[in-house]
Amino acid sequence: MEALFIWIETSPLSLWVRGESGWHMAFPIIIVFHALGMGFLVGVALAINGRVLGLAPQVPLGKLRQFLPVAMLALVVNVISGILLLIGYPTKALTNPVFYIKLLCIALALWNLRWFSYSVLTNPIYDHGVLPQKTRQLATASIVLWASAIIAGRLLAYTYNNMMSI
Amino acid sequence: MLEAISDWLQSTWLSHAFISQGLWAWPMSESLHFMGLCLLVGSVGLIDLRMLGMARGISVAALHKLVPFGVGGYLVNVLTGSLFVIGDADQYIFNDAFRVKMLFMLIAGLNVLFFYSSAFQKTKLLGPDDSMPLNVKIMAGVSLTCWIVIISAGRLITFYRP
Repeated sequence: MEALFIWIETSPLSLWVRGESGWHMAFPIIIVFHALGMGFLVGVALAINGRVLGLAPQVPLGKLRQFLPVAMLALVVNVISGILLLIGYPTKALTNPVFYIKLLCIALALWNLRWFSYSVLTNPIYDHGVLPQKTRQLATASIVLWASAIIAGRLLAYTYNNMMSI
Repeated sequence: MLEAISDWLQSTWLSHAFISQGLWAWPMSESLHFMGLCLLVGSVGLIDLRMLGMARGISVAALHKLVPFGVGGYLVNVLTGSLFVIGDADQYIFNDAFRVKMLFMLIAGLNVLFFYSSAFQKTKLLGPDDSMPLNVKIMAGVSLTCWIVIISAGRLITFYRP
């Protein structure tokens, strides 16, 4: 495993991400995109979950689907920026259990969002009125998962065991 | 002058209490700061997008019911943000990224005041499929741009430590 980390950390792309070759602002700008992506992805998810829980009841639930392209663009931004950050510091992330907790929370939250998008937001009977209890519980679970992903992500800066293998 | 404010903030009881909390207070406040940001984008940001022409079929009045949650996120962020500044004042007061962030918070605040005093009463009467007048679109664009700059500059603070 360590050999793989060393190979990644000495690659030109890894050096570029860490700002050790070329542009010294590469790492801060990647982090900025990761924060903006978080805001729009989680923001759209929170709006959908909030509406499912009964906030803003005059908003036809299905119409919120129109914000999903924003969330998907934000997801693409965060997958790309996240992979770049991982290439920059593979040891730091992959030797920290908190990183896997973050990924698990995101995977479950995205699965949840996908289910809402295809099974709830597409069904006109849910456009108005109170949603089934199970659906509301899944919306609450989604909020908890996004919050956990954010906490885990922020803790990555504080809980790592090893910064680099080189 | 700024030096004195910075020194005074860091000499306060609150500053010492927040810093000496040690391991958890700072990272947890940062996490709350991020969640507040998501609440703001998920309410005010989406209303801005609606005003700019996205998501027809939802009236501004209906979507505006989410604003109290955005305000809640904003208050969480004012509180946690104040803790950061009080806890480590000289890292913020002399930080160019923090200054840019504060400038755009001011512009966003003035824009909000201007919107609610000049256009909101007419805007909330518009229907779910209506397009917004140009002045409302401009204010929504200013708002969205300000929040994107605020998030970006905020995230850059740690890289512009004096």
